Amino acid sequence: MAAADVPAVRPGAPPGSALAGALRSVGMSLLPVAAAFVVGAVVLAVTGWDPISVYRVMAREAFGSTARVESTLAAATPLLFAGLATAIAFRGGVFNIGVDGCFVLGGLAAAWLGAALTGLPGWLLIPVCVLAGMITGAVWSAPPAFLRVRLGVDEVVSTLMLNFVAIGLASWIVNTLLLAQGTANSASSPVAPQAELPGLGGDVTLGLVIALVGVVFYGVWTRWSASGYELRMTGLNPAFAQTAGISVPRVVFQAMLWSGLVAGAGGAAHALGVVHRFVDGFSPGYGFTGIAIALLARNGAVGIVLASILFGALASAGATVQLFSDIPLDIVDVLQGTIMVFAAVQVVDLRRRIRRQAA
Amino acid sequence: MAPAIRLGAREVTRRFGGVVANDDVSLSIAPGTVHAIVGENGAGKTTLMRILYGLDRPDAGTVVVDDEPARLSGPADATRRGIGMVHQEFKLVDELTLLENLVLGHEPTRRGRIDWRRARGHAEALAGETGVALDWDLPAGRASVAVRQRLEILRLMYREADVLILDEPTAVLAPPQVAELLELLSGLRDGGRTIIFISHKLQEVLDVADTVTALRAGRVTGTVAAADADPDSLVRMMVGESVPEVRLQAREAAGAAPLLEVRGAGVRDAQGRDRLRDVSLTVHSGEVVGIAGVAGNGQDELVECVLGLRRPTAGSIVVDGADVTRSTIAQRRRHGLAYIPADRRRDGLSPTSSLLDNVAAGSQRGAELTHRGWFRRGALERRAARIVERYRVHCAGLGVPAASLSGGNQQRLILGREMEGEPRVLVASQPTRGVDVRGSAYIREQLLAVRERGGGVLLVSEELDELVALSDRIVVLARGAVTGVVSGPFEDLTELGALMTARVAV
Repeated sequence: MAAADVPAVRPGAPPGSALAGALRSVGMSLLPVAAAFVVGAVVLAVTGWDPISVYRVMAREAFGSTARVESTLAAATPLLFAGLATAIAFRGGVFNIGVDGCFVLGGLAAAWLGAALTGLPGWLLIPVCVLAGMITGAVWSAPPAFLRVRLGVDEVVSTLMLNFVAIGLASWIVNTLLLAQGTANSASSPVAPQAELPGLGGDVTLGLVIALVGVVFYGVWTRWSASGYELRMTGLNPAFAQTAGISVPRVVFQAMLWSGLVAGAGGAAHALGVVHRFVDGFSPGYGFTGIAIALLARNGAVGIVLASILFGALASAGATVQLFSDIPLDIVDVLQGTIMVFAAVQVVDLRRRIRRQAA
Repeated sequence: MAPAIRLGAREVTRRFGGVVANDDVSLSIAPGTVHAIVGENGAGKTTLMRILYGLDRPDAGTVVVDDEPARLSGPADATRRGIGMVHQEFKLVDELTLLENLVLGHEPTRRGRIDWRRARGHAEALAGETGVALDWDLPAGRASVAVRQRLEILRLMYREADVLILDEPTAVLAPPQVAELLELLSGLRDGGRTIIFISHKLQEVLDVADTVTALRAGRVTGTVAAADADPDSLVRMMVGESVPEVRLQAREAAGAAPLLEVRGAGVRDAQGRDRLRDVSLTVHSGEVVGIAGVAGNGQDELVECVLGLRRPTAGSIVVDGADVTRSTIAQRRRHGLAYIPADRRRDGLSPTSSLLDNVAAGSQRGAELTHRGWFRRGALERRAARIVERYRVHCAGLGVPAASLSGGNQQRLILGREMEGEPRVLVASQPTRGVDVRGSAYIREQLLAVRERGGGVLLVSEELDELVALSDRIVVLARGAVTGVVSGPFEDLTELGALMTARVAV
């Protein structure tokens, strides 16, 4: 408007609305969560439960004691990997739905090597297994990445389909080539004891630390590195990125590979740290929860941590709540599903539309 | 009896935060007239129109409808009072046909089902009344911009609006289409309708308007009968002073080194049509070469080939002596190529990103801003602050999103970014489109500054006046081929006009 009256900014001036912007984005992420708990409360009330007391039980089961917090963090660990893997792709504007498949195959690779290379010492065996998981995840992401970049094949369809291929493939391998001696159920041999990730109390393992380091690096990298900048610009406006000299196909390809790599690392950490082998049904849909986490976090590093803890809390509380009370486990599914739905609707746009109508 | 004021504002003030968008604005629009609102970007034109259409409410003062103060509760209320608006961005559903779009939201029905025969009858009647012929069964997404705009106007009439507010309707049109639109508007006025028309382009305002109101910094600086006005007096009202015309000083560029050479460039599209045919041109050091032509005659393809957004199917591109035909955009930029794109919000900026991020574009691998692949924050902030200051980009901070800037400021930001590192060759496509008078003059000065310091400029513009004022030579494109090269000074524009419509033997 009267543009001449707005002073030009002097060097060194702080990016004015950074704090306000951060607060706003946190609010934007809290909105779907709050909405989900309201919907959950309605469902509970209608089915004859007292929402307040159910939520209180759940909060206690998630955070009520050191043991419960440990259990929540343990549940959050694979979700951190899955959320981070998804966020990397989403940041680059690539809708990679294939994190679950990479997670499963990365776990399979790590469990196989962990059981096969029993002669190696732990300090060598663990990195080898994790690296194998990473490579497997990245390799599994390469075909859809190539198809997208070269032939314009929609990555949503290709990666979603490849999840089923990955799960089926892993199931076949564990039932034939890697089936443990003397077991009838689909499980591979346990990994060597020195391949198990060191525990940090309760069920929490070194995997949590690896995941957190990854998330922190991701946050710094997207913000301050040239390649992170290219990823962000490609995701926000590919036409602009291209005219700025960014090779959009290369960025997209790499984002897919990094996404698969992180997912594979998550699978490896889960196999070495928690399951200690590979079993059929290795991932109860971690990759899909990862999508919800990335959406809720708006691909931000802090958001990924918070959202993973939230979903971890729901999972760990859900598991024990029904042991001590007859609260149905389904309420946890209702909450998770509702958060996903509300996170997926672009809440920002909704709000903007409401405001415009009110004006 | 007809009211004296069909629509107007009385002492309207509207503030956004600390910025006064409209300051004590009074406006009276007589029925059956074309009333033009002129003013620079950010003068408050759009805010005023939004208030008149009920999209926004004044903090003080009131809207006047039919001589009476009125409180518009929203666009629906305005529509009930016969007021309609065509926005800068059209609000059509691409997948629906023109006919479906016309009646959308107000479909004639018979026993609960849409009566398409009656809808078509309405459509034909409107078309007949306005002399506009449309292919009603064409999906809106496949219609040209001019047709879509026509449809928007007919849609208002279908909803029985007799006051039509048009926000910069000519900004998206090529010159012949502008003439047709102005004719349509005059026809509607003669049919008794009232037209409010926002524009930057003073000549078309003078051609079509009965009355002109100028805004400057949110205030009305004058209302005059178009018959008593001329472009100079309007500019003085808009800007507060007369803006000197930017024009190059002709001089001999003898012996200057060629900086950009296009050699026999051809582009054949996937359907096998030639979009660009054997185009050769050279931009020397200290030279501005203009590209003239009616929109869609190969200009975009030429620019894309030069920049590297598209690989020519024939010929080669040479920048500063190096053949870059197979080089990436990043490599070409390192050879000293810079680019001001025509579609600044799509190709020139990331609107949701901060000014810092937008300033970094193109230099994200350069030694000034990064070290071993990591940004040097201080260097980036210094560069952004320097650009904001030197190119007078008015903004609330370096962290604000680029979308929060006005169009002219966005363009200055792009200009400043691309001028960093003193490009050897600047490719500027429609650099002043949608930019106000003073902003345009500034951008033109900067283009000439590149020429002065020995750089080369390839200027693509649909405004012939701009090309004539700035170019040493003008290359005319028609149907993808060069139909002529004219050297300045350009006394007679008829030659250029003839070349623009010339047919070339294939």
